[in-house]
Amino acid sequence: MAMQELPKKDFFAPLKAWKFLGKRPVTIEVPNKVKREASDRYRGFHINDWSKCIGCGTCSKICPTDAITMVEVPGLVRDHGKLPQRPVIDYGRCSFCALCVDICTTGSLQMTREYIHVSDDAEDYVYMPTEKGLNAKRGLYEHGKAPLGWIKDENSDILDLVRVKMPMEEPEVRVKSFIEIVKGYSKEQAQQEAARCVGCGICTYTCPEHMDIPQYIESIYKGDLEEGLRWLYRTNPLSMVCGRVCTHRCESSCSVGVRGEPVAIRWLKRYIIDNVPFEEYDRILNIRPEKKGKSVGIIGSGPAGLSAAYFLSTMGYDVTIYEANARPGGVMRYGIPRYRLPDEALDKDIAFIEALGVKILVNTKVGQEIGFDEIAKKHDAVFISTGFGLGRSTRVPGTDHPNVKQALPMLKMIRDYLRGDGPKPPVPRKLIVIGGGNVAMDISRSMARLQTMEYGEVNVHTLSLERSFEEMPADMDEIEEALEEGVEFHPGWGPIEIVIEDDEVKGARFKKCLRVFDENHRFNPQFDENNQIFIEADMVIEAIGQAPDYSYLPQELQEKLEFVRGRIKTNEYNQTAIEWLFAGGDIVHGPDIIHGVADGYAAAKGIDMYLSKK
Amino acid sequence: MGEVKLFFGPNHPGMHGNFSVHMYVEGDVVKRARPLPGFLHRGFEKLMERRYWYSNIALIPRICVPEPDINEACYAMGVEKIAKLEVPERAQWIRMIVLELARIANHLMAVGGIGGPIGLYTAPQWGTADRDRILDIFEALSGARVYHMYIVIGGVRKNLTPRIEDMIWKTMDYIESRLPDYENLIFKNRILHSRLKGRLILTREQALEMGVTGVGLRATGVEYDVRKVDPYLFYDKVDFEVPTATDGDAFSRVYLKFKEIPQSIKIIRQALEKMPQGDKVNVPVSKGSALRRIVPKGMAYVHIESARGEYGFFVVSDGKNKPYRVAVRGASYPQGLYGIEKYLPGTRIEDVPIWLATMDVCAPEIDR
Amino acid sequence: MTNSMSNLVKILESFNPFVEEIDEKEIKITVSPDKVVAVLETLKANGYSHLSLMTCVDWIDDNQLELVYILFSWEDGGKFLVSTRIDRSNPKFVTVKELWPVARFYEREIHEFFGVEFEGNDDMKPLFLELWDERPPLRKDFDPRDYSRKKFPDREYEKDVIKEAKIFRGEING
Repeated sequence: MAMQELPKKDFFAPLKAWKFLGKRPVTIEVPNKVKREASDRYRGFHINDWSKCIGCGTCSKICPTDAITMVEVPGLVRDHGKLPQRPVIDYGRCSFCALCVDICTTGSLQMTREYIHVSDDAEDYVYMPTEKGLNAKRGLYEHGKAPLGWIKDENSDILDLVRVKMPMEEPEVRVKSFIEIVKGYSKEQAQQEAARCVGCGICTYTCPEHMDIPQYIESIYKGDLEEGLRWLYRTNPLSMVCGRVCTHRCESSCSVGVRGEPVAIRWLKRYIIDNVPFEEYDRILNIRPEKKGKSVGIIGSGPAGLSAAYFLSTMGYDVTIYEANARPGGVMRYGIPRYRLPDEALDKDIAFIEALGVKILVNTKVGQEIGFDEIAKKHDAVFISTGFGLGRSTRVPGTDHPNVKQALPMLKMIRDYLRGDGPKPPVPRKLIVIGGGNVAMDISRSMARLQTMEYGEVNVHTLSLERSFEEMPADMDEIEEALEEGVEFHPGWGPIEIVIEDDEVKGARFKKCLRVFDENHRFNPQFDENNQIFIEADMVIEAIGQAPDYSYLPQELQEKLEFVRGRIKTNEYNQTAIEWLFAGGDIVHGPDIIHGVADGYAAAKGIDMYLSKK
Repeated sequence: MGEVKLFFGPNHPGMHGNFSVHMYVEGDVVKRARPLPGFLHRGFEKLMERRYWYSNIALIPRICVPEPDINEACYAMGVEKIAKLEVPERAQWIRMIVLELARIANHLMAVGGIGGPIGLYTAPQWGTADRDRILDIFEALSGARVYHMYIVIGGVRKNLTPRIEDMIWKTMDYIESRLPDYENLIFKNRILHSRLKGRLILTREQALEMGVTGVGLRATGVEYDVRKVDPYLFYDKVDFEVPTATDGDAFSRVYLKFKEIPQSIKIIRQALEKMPQGDKVNVPVSKGSALRRIVPKGMAYVHIESARGEYGFFVVSDGKNKPYRVAVRGASYPQGLYGIEKYLPGTRIEDVPIWLATMDVCAPEIDR
Repeated sequence: MTNSMSNLVKILESFNPFVEEIDEKEIKITVSPDKVVAVLETLKANGYSHLSLMTCVDWIDDNQLELVYILFSWEDGGKFLVSTRIDRSNPKFVTVKELWPVARFYEREIHEFFGVEFEGNDDMKPLFLELWDERPPLRKDFDPRDYSRKKFPDREYEKDVIKEAKIFRGEING
């Protein structure tokens, strides 16, 4: 290419520069004369909406310059899904990259277009962003009036809001048998799901058992399942069960769940247990406590009982569990349907507890095979966790008919039948289930399976007082899966009577429920008596709640104990009014397995304190 | 006359950035010269190993101040090569537009920058003012004027809106309309000619031996441009020329930069026309939040043609959420270190800043 | 890989290389340390005359340092990554400054950052760092955070940021 040659000398050549004399200068004086607004994507000083911020600290983790520190704010309380801390930004370090804005789990942290802040005091460059932002000195805008700049959108978002899809059995397949629905993550899927976690630890507070959730998720992410197993067994000996059927309150507080789908904490826990062989447990966990020479008796081998047994034996106590049924596990063995919790899963958890030396005496009903006094005499302390074994009835006319059944005995019968322990339960062609909780879902879906196996079609009507799926206490997943399996829901109906003709159940009549709770949030349903329906059925199952059975407790003990609405009152270590008697599970707190595990843990600590002092 | 040791830089009006040359001079003639880098060494290669793949975006543009986007693009493309990641086509076109805008901005600054060492003060004023128009585009597109932090792994952070597209069209028309003025007032200027013509000639053999790339090499008559020889992004789908010269002197190096500006404008216009519409301009490298996105094991070297020559990132991943090693090839590494030692002796003191300016010795990219 | 690249790979077979294709225009060739210079000479003679980058990777778990030479051909547009691993506890290698003079500076840099000695390269003065008193900084066992904590204490701010934030929010009066 030709180079620019120097032009010949020319007298008029300088004239060509003269045209620029008349041009206006392009420079402007900022900010005193001209207010030059930054562009609408500008990354200026931060603002943070405290009402949205949950203190997860993800901004401080992603910060490449270490400019953000989380500082606890007195006056904020630690709550479900919230940590009492807020980010503090050091503008001596900040590089204005906006990664904190892009990863913010809630979207509370944002950037304004304010870009001028002049101060000769270094202290002015560190501050805790609020809704009003930095009080910029000599800035463009009044304090709190700076318009928003950089806003996160779907392209710049660097949080992963979508869960790794869990492989599940299709509804048409699963309704034909009691095969487990959730198949579990593969290694790759589990690592991908674990990578979504931001490690904030908000879930730990929400979990009744305060499990080390971020820690074991990180172990999965690193591929170190042995470490993950150790984290699990630090707080929960029933991780395999919880990994399947926990009510996963942790997921409702997950910071990733604020804008997207929460991390699948429950399934990740299950992944660890599913993938560590039982033979390795002893080596990995290496529990070798010093024997204390004292013994504890536990009545009931449900979640609370097993949990207490595990923690007590890791402390070195001799533990004996008395179980009335033929197999240990309580509600996990006899209540939860097999498609959610197969026997093998439970067996693995129990086997490890037994391997620690816990004796489980089955078919030993206290009050019949063995007296309560005898247990009290044999052991240094006693923990009772007998659960809510009795069903509640609506007591409407006709409920005394033999074809009006209670959910819990039916569930037990079905499980016994499936594992070959008992006779086949009666399978009606048309069934009404009364109730809107998880037990109602369990029995509806179990019966739908039996109906499909028997008759090839589902005819289950589930009626509840609650007027919508949201109001129903059952998990939304359960309701959705039941719908997929062909269960028909009628929310907002209360039973009037069971219609019986010629000594046969023909169906039931219901009236419209107008409201379930009164202004004081007390259970006080109101009905529209004129709006009634009749539903045909040859069996009715009531699943409106359960009640405890304290008949095994001697009268004089019962008198000493304090009861609150059918539950035993205890202190924070689950100690009852009788100092050697501890209680836990449904008879103290409820309502789910993880609360039982938490009770067992607390009681084990309480028993240890009590026996150490003794 | 005895030999005198002269410290040139790091604080010197003719010095570009914080860089120092120790010269031993006799009279005005340089006898020996030693480059002394390190004033801007921030240890970025080490720091990058200790940050997440995504949060490195805050460090990367700072490796080269006048043209930060090449760093971002190189790093992103290196990671994408290891992960075999398909980037949305629109994002690739946007990257090309950004890279060419950055080239124009850098060339304008270089054309202006030559004014300082030779005393032609119109050039820096004009160059800076017109470069600001491009920074306005960057501000609208990425939210920052200098360190854009815009090209990230998997694409770009935000979409190009029609309003910004319009802004680019208008600015390109404006820059194009300014080029004849530059030609007339700067490149026909007597001072420029007398100071640059025939000075600091680098032959083709010398350039190749040294490993010089970019205009320094192309001024010796070869059409060696990474965009043509090893096309990346969609450079093989657009029509443009690589200007070359045969003189190999300081003047042709500056003039070639100026001549590349219309070519870049041409590329940007084609890109704006050919770019597919769409909302998606970013894909994650793997599942998970940016804290835990992993890049599979592997290594790759990605180089692109920066305004100063071949610019490369060598990225190594050991399959974790942080890079195992990132090494940067600064475009001016050969001429800024070896070149000073080898080619400055024999020249005059006033030529030293011209070498630094026309060979684009960029201290931050040498030091990292 | 392109035709000329696969031809070159065939020529290089006598050096027992381990060949990995990174993409169609980028090939990594791993050879034992004693063959590196011969491989580089062969490549240089066959058009791969541009040394894009020479660098080093610390594989601390294997107790090895990996030296990587990246060669580029202006004719072909292809890249060869020539790699070799040397012992980490006593890292020594030969210089290639006769092949590429600029390698002198790359070697100085690698010596400074990784502690590799290059026989034949007499200029091993520190290039970037001044008064360095620690192990070579790009080695994996060097912790820059510890170092800077030791050398440059953090600034302590005295301001009560929480109080200020509460005043901004109107929760308390300032």
